[in-house]
Amino acid sequence: MLPNFAYVRARTVEEALEHLGGEDTRVHAGGTDLLGCLRDRVFAADKVVSLRDVEGLTGIRRAADGGLVLGGLTTLAEVSRSSEVRGLYPGLAQAASAVASPQLRNQGTLAGNLCQRPRCWYFRGEFHCAKKGGAQCYAVGGQNRYHAVLGGGPCYIVHPSDTAPMLLALDAAVRIVGRAGERAIKLAEFFVLPEVELARENVLAPGEIVTEILLPPAPGLYSSYRKVRERGAWDFALASVALALRSIGGRVTQASVVLGGVAPAPWRAEAVERAIVGTTVDEKTARDAAAAAVEGAEPLEWNAYKLPLIRGIVEESLRRFHDYQPS
Amino acid sequence: MKAADYYLDGPAPETPEPRQRQDRWGETRVVGRPLPRVDAYERVSGSAVYPSDVQLPGMLHAAILRSPHPHARVKRVETSRAEAMPGVRAVITHQTPGADIAWYTDREGATVGHLFEAHCRFEGEAVAAVAAESPYQARDALEAIEVEYEVLPFTSDYETALEPRAPAVRDGGNRASEPGVYERGDLAAGFNAAEVVVEETFRTPCELHTPLEPHGCVARWDGNRLTVWESTQGVYPVQSRVAQVLGLPLANVRVIGHYVGGGFGSKLRPGKYTVIAALLARQTGRPVRLFLSREETLLCAGNRPANRMRLKVGAKRDGTLTAIEFHGLGSGGAYSGSGTGILDWQVRDLYRCDNVRCTTENVYIHAGAQRPMRAPGHPQCSWALEQVMDELADRLELDPVELRLRNLASVSQGRGGIPYTSNGFRECLEEGARTFGWLAARSRARSEDDLARGVGMAGGLWIAGAGGPPSTAIVKYFADGSVNLNLGASDIGTGTKTVMAMVVAEELGVPLDRIQIEHADTATTQFATASGGSKTVPTDAPAVRAAALDCHNQLLDMAAEELAVAPSELKLDGDHVVAVGDPEKRVALREVSDFRRRQVVVGIGYRGPNPEGKATCPFAAQFCEVEVNRRTGEVRVLRFLGAHDSGRVMNRATYDNQVYGGIVMGIGLGLTERRVLDTGQTGKMCNLSWHDYKIPTALDVPADVTSLPIETEDVECNTVGAKGLGEPVTIPTAAAIANAVYNATGIRVWEAPLNATRLAELLAEREA
Repeated sequence: MLPNFAYVRARTVEEALEHLGGEDTRVHAGGTDLLGCLRDRVFAADKVVSLRDVEGLTGIRRAADGGLVLGGLTTLAEVSRSSEVRGLYPGLAQAASAVASPQLRNQGTLAGNLCQRPRCWYFRGEFHCAKKGGAQCYAVGGQNRYHAVLGGGPCYIVHPSDTAPMLLALDAAVRIVGRAGERAIKLAEFFVLPEVELARENVLAPGEIVTEILLPPAPGLYSSYRKVRERGAWDFALASVALALRSIGGRVTQASVVLGGVAPAPWRAEAVERAIVGTTVDEKTARDAAAAAVEGAEPLEWNAYKLPLIRGIVEESLRRFHDYQPS
Repeated sequence: MKAADYYLDGPAPETPEPRQRQDRWGETRVVGRPLPRVDAYERVSGSAVYPSDVQLPGMLHAAILRSPHPHARVKRVETSRAEAMPGVRAVITHQTPGADIAWYTDREGATVGHLFEAHCRFEGEAVAAVAAESPYQARDALEAIEVEYEVLPFTSDYETALEPRAPAVRDGGNRASEPGVYERGDLAAGFNAAEVVVEETFRTPCELHTPLEPHGCVARWDGNRLTVWESTQGVYPVQSRVAQVLGLPLANVRVIGHYVGGGFGSKLRPGKYTVIAALLARQTGRPVRLFLSREETLLCAGNRPANRMRLKVGAKRDGTLTAIEFHGLGSGGAYSGSGTGILDWQVRDLYRCDNVRCTTENVYIHAGAQRPMRAPGHPQCSWALEQVMDELADRLELDPVELRLRNLASVSQGRGGIPYTSNGFRECLEEGARTFGWLAARSRARSEDDLARGVGMAGGLWIAGAGGPPSTAIVKYFADGSVNLNLGASDIGTGTKTVMAMVVAEELGVPLDRIQIEHADTATTQFATASGGSKTVPTDAPAVRAAALDCHNQLLDMAAEELAVAPSELKLDGDHVVAVGDPEKRVALREVSDFRRRQVVVGIGYRGPNPEGKATCPFAAQFCEVEVNRRTGEVRVLRFLGAHDSGRVMNRATYDNQVYGGIVMGIGLGLTERRVLDTGQTGKMCNLSWHDYKIPTALDVPADVTSLPIETEDVECNTVGAKGLGEPVTIPTAAAIANAVYNATGIRVWEAPLNATRLAELLAEREA
């Protein structure tokens, strides 16, 4: 059962901001994650401020620099269908279409997908875990099949988003609006690890909302997203990898490789990037780079399978890039 | 254990002898055709009223407060704040007069648990209940009930439940019963004679039923008469349990269950919710609706227990089995459910082997009770047995189908060697393999890129599926040739109503749209056992046939007087009766004076006894092709074929749907499903949602599924020749997938579910 709360449908961003900022005030965009969190009592809500009637928060348009601007309330279905996204950033279209199910993609929004709360069953369930102010992270000694192998501690959630690793690989930024004003920050600065912020997964202050996602221009860009899950739909990533590469004559000049589903935030695999820049990503390079992807990983009791999984999808994705290149 | 014991709860009435000899059907006109369901429009349009749709004037809404701990003692329950909340009409606990009801009993009949329990032995144990004007008020009131728990140590891992340090679930410890032992022949001699021995340990996960419609009911009192609209697989078991618990005459308890949104075994009996709803309705004088939340259905409405199975099989070089040793371990939870019920049956019965020993150990854990789930014990056993057979074939360099063909059993060995009324296992294997293209698919070279293809198969049989008495059906034939069919059976989504109407149509030549069906109502329809055990068609269709024949014969008797021709010389021809040898001698039924006077002919049919000294079982073989990603261990099922001997096909459309549905459920066991308990920390259930408890989606099920009926002619099992189908269809599925994955990768996965979370590591280990 949902708790009782006041519901406000704001007409403008300013009106929404006026209502936001209270400790238990929640933003409603697509609601696909919010309603679940409220029903499961993950957090309280005394007021829910809906952005669905706010104009100007949806849609995809070209930026002056040739990049794209995606409204925060653009649905995942729209992102995955957009011919501009598919043409310029095919990896983002792949990531958006890998989310959940058609119903949820029709309802869920891109900004909401970035800001969704983790799926850890100790966080979602009746467990007073560290992230909720309790004394311990139950995942450490518990059922941790779906938990972090990289960047964990003191909490071992994985960031659940499919679009976040891809957007980070694409060097996207987000426009954040709050009562104090507005700012645009790179996604690299948006997500935070639990060792920095235990209770939150990003730098949004109370009352702030993500209004836009800004993608830099894409000339010469190769992008892809590969996700592994236990079932074909309505399942978060056991592991995923987002690639954004630039190359000249088959030789990689710039690489961004980001892992999803394996760390509390989208996880930049810099060792992989170093291993492939300057190469043509031949078979051996791909294999060695894939092995580097799990450097420093510290699996828990039940999630060591994620290491070969990461290696597998990184190698597969790099070989796809190699095969794709026009000779 | 006889299968019937497994399903029947309480005494069953004696069944009279069938009224007349019933000849085997020759060519059928209606039975067997792929006809749409008689209630398809109601189901699809939403006009079908499921129990959870029932709305009564003045109806209250109830909810149950449950223990959040797997093991705790309730030291204090304070309900006054909840009682004072707006809309709250009743709050009951174990202290409420009349609510202190014994619920669980041990084998000797002693009470070991109550409706509301002060000693909670599983997460989800009922502690209190509320009735309020709205479901929201009821749930809010639950939160206002203050309960002080003394949290106690718990045991949630069945594999360590017998260790001395494991906290005891019951006073006598965690052994729920003496180990079950089955033995025939000389096991040691059998293994001595073996030239190859395979021994492995297998595990299957705890699965949940997850029916779409939650468990629950609406209860209403009229004086001392109670009416319950329950989402159930059997209205009569609900009636008998509710009457027993509340001390009411059976006649005062009416249970109605016209539709049910899935049960899969978890709705064979009433739940505590049924009795709690009745108590709250009595206390408030208002109808009460009590349906579980989705979370409650996952937490405490039954499960297929997890099993650990050790299997050792010996064989000669030619494949002849010489010895089988099986050990199974499982837990039915904290109370009376069994963790190992009929788990070893296929080891005893499926393949010919003279030397067999099975032991099963059933233990208690602090978790919700097991309830029968589609072919209890069998898919688990199949996971072990059929993988060992596959491994054996591999070591003997025999084709897996051939190895099975070399070990066909001619009699039911598990029943002391009595014959089957029919046995189409050979045909399932041979025709299944042929239609699937087994040999060609098997010999195709494994691809050498990232994606490897493989094919696998598994056989199986289901212990039950014979059906049997009692069942009574009534057919009323009206003056205008329309028919009313009355039977107590539930249609749990399998098409029971449609099949029964087709039986009437077959015998009386009445079109299906002229047949009205009344069913699943203890006040107005005839006694029937619950729809479970794959026995509804073989149990009730013969009774329906007998009732239709009774009508038929009465009509001929009446026309015989009219035409002055012996009844044996007459036949029904649409709405006329005609003399067989003289078509000129015919009379319209509406002109038969005796019939006109009576206006209706009532036929009564009873299910006759099963043949003595014989066993009736459905047999199965399934084949599948999979694609495995060699880097990640992702498994995709590409196609499936189910070859099933369930005797006569009553309706090809509902038959095929059972095959498809069973395979889908088996894919869940094989690839995605498992209940996760927070073993070692809190003992609570982790994946308490349909997101985290992963049943397969449409994308996990191949579009290419073939149903291949092996329609053995069974002239002995019953008067329609049909055997059970609903459960055998899910028995071999998971094992067939595991064998296909082995064929593709050379890796055996002994533990289900089998997906990237296991296979990725196994593939990497082999690389290294």
